[in-house]
Amino acid sequence: MTADMFWTLASGVPWTIGLTAVSLLIGVLLGIPLCALRMSRILALNLAAQAVILTLRAIPPIVWLFFIFFGLGSSVIELSPFQAGAVGLGLITAANMAEIYRGAMTAIHPGQWEAAHALGFTTWHRFADVIAPQLFRVALPTAAGYAIGLLKDTAIASTIGVAEVAFQASHVSQRSFRGLDVYAFAGLLYILLSLPIAWAARWADLHLRARVAR
Amino acid sequence: MSQRASSSTDPRFAPLPPLLTLEAVGKTFGSHVVLDGIDLRLAPGEVVAIIGPSGSGKSTLLRCINQLEPPTSGRVTLGGTVIEAGHTPGRRELMNLRRAVGMVFQSFNLFPHLTVLRNVSIAQERVMKRSRAEADKISMQLLARVGLADKAQQYPSRCSGGQQQRIAIARALALEPQIMLFDEPTSALDPELGLEVLAVMRELAENGMTMIVVTHEMHFAEEVSDRVIIMADGKIVEQGVSRDVMRNPQTERARRFLHAVKDR
Repeated sequence: MTADMFWTLASGVPWTIGLTAVSLLIGVLLGIPLCALRMSRILALNLAAQAVILTLRAIPPIVWLFFIFFGLGSSVIELSPFQAGAVGLGLITAANMAEIYRGAMTAIHPGQWEAAHALGFTTWHRFADVIAPQLFRVALPTAAGYAIGLLKDTAIASTIGVAEVAFQASHVSQRSFRGLDVYAFAGLLYILLSLPIAWAARWADLHLRARVAR
Repeated sequence: MSQRASSSTDPRFAPLPPLLTLEAVGKTFGSHVVLDGIDLRLAPGEVVAIIGPSGSGKSTLLRCINQLEPPTSGRVTLGGTVIEAGHTPGRRELMNLRRAVGMVFQSFNLFPHLTVLRNVSIAQERVMKRSRAEADKISMQLLARVGLADKAQQYPSRCSGGQQQRIAIARALALEPQIMLFDEPTSALDPELGLEVLAVMRELAENGMTMIVVTHEMHFAEEVSDRVIIMADGKIVEQGVSRDVMRNPQTERARRFLHAVKDR
């Protein structure tokens, strides 16, 4: 593989990282209200959240990206490939994060809510001071696993023209008629990118677990 | 129901107006009646032990007082706060009530992600709007009072069950409650660790704290509390001066329960 090919492939890395980070941020934040709605005792809100989560998760990501970029992007609102990719993957991530939070919520002892109620905490302080920090700790390993999956899923955005690693690999291989080493190198880049996420999650998990081990 | 020496008739309590009044408080879950028309008046400084078989509604009664379980009928009055069943209490009413009532749970319910000091401080900052420094200072005094100042920087998981329960007591005291509710505070502890918790509770009682203690510790009920209430099937079946009730119960249901406990 030539230096030129190497640098072309490497130029996709910031796009892969950027798309992963923005999608994850959208999902992590939007997942909170979606989870709250999903756990709502008001049936209409609960059912609406279930419908949204099901729709986002049941339709393949590539169909979502085509729908947003070619569908909405051409007729409703103009979107760059990156914007369309971030919105699509972000929404799918939000649905998955909502379910991850909901699972983590069941792991929190009901006594924690009761103690916060009995101490007179407001709804916000119950969440921010008592529930969220514990939720974060419980959800972290699953969320980190999802983040690594998301990093790989960003390759789907190559289909709508986001110039990330898979897009560059496809581009270089078509130009050079070399598939094996080009895609092997692209694979290596994905491994190198996912390792720090795994390490960071493992470190945070051990660090938090050591502090609050029961 | 035997009412031999309740707060309304015992001369020791008569001059003081009640701090807490429950009037016909009831709680049902579906068709299951857990509390059936409970009346209770508690004078300031009074220590009441509630005993009775499992499922008799003791814990639910405590939880109805601070509205962790909203009663389905009746009225709870504490200080100037009145909460009627069926009317969702306003945010301010609920806050006032909960600030005035400290609660200690069977399973401690400390916040595992916060240090011992933070566990005691955080509600002071959030609810009483004390500064961090002031809250920490008061927390250290309270931890010293329960004998755990040296644990301030530890996490609860590093403390024994008895220590965790003493921390939970300090946390509740930090909000300067008018009344403390204890929901089987020693049931999750082995007997030796239970003793250290009971010693703290005894000290509180001696210093004039108004307390309701749901307990299986018969010795504590008899020696430390002013009044014992025996509950069964969601009702108060007997109440009166501790020693009288414990040694010479008047009702058949109370006698049966006390026999069963003593025969164990």
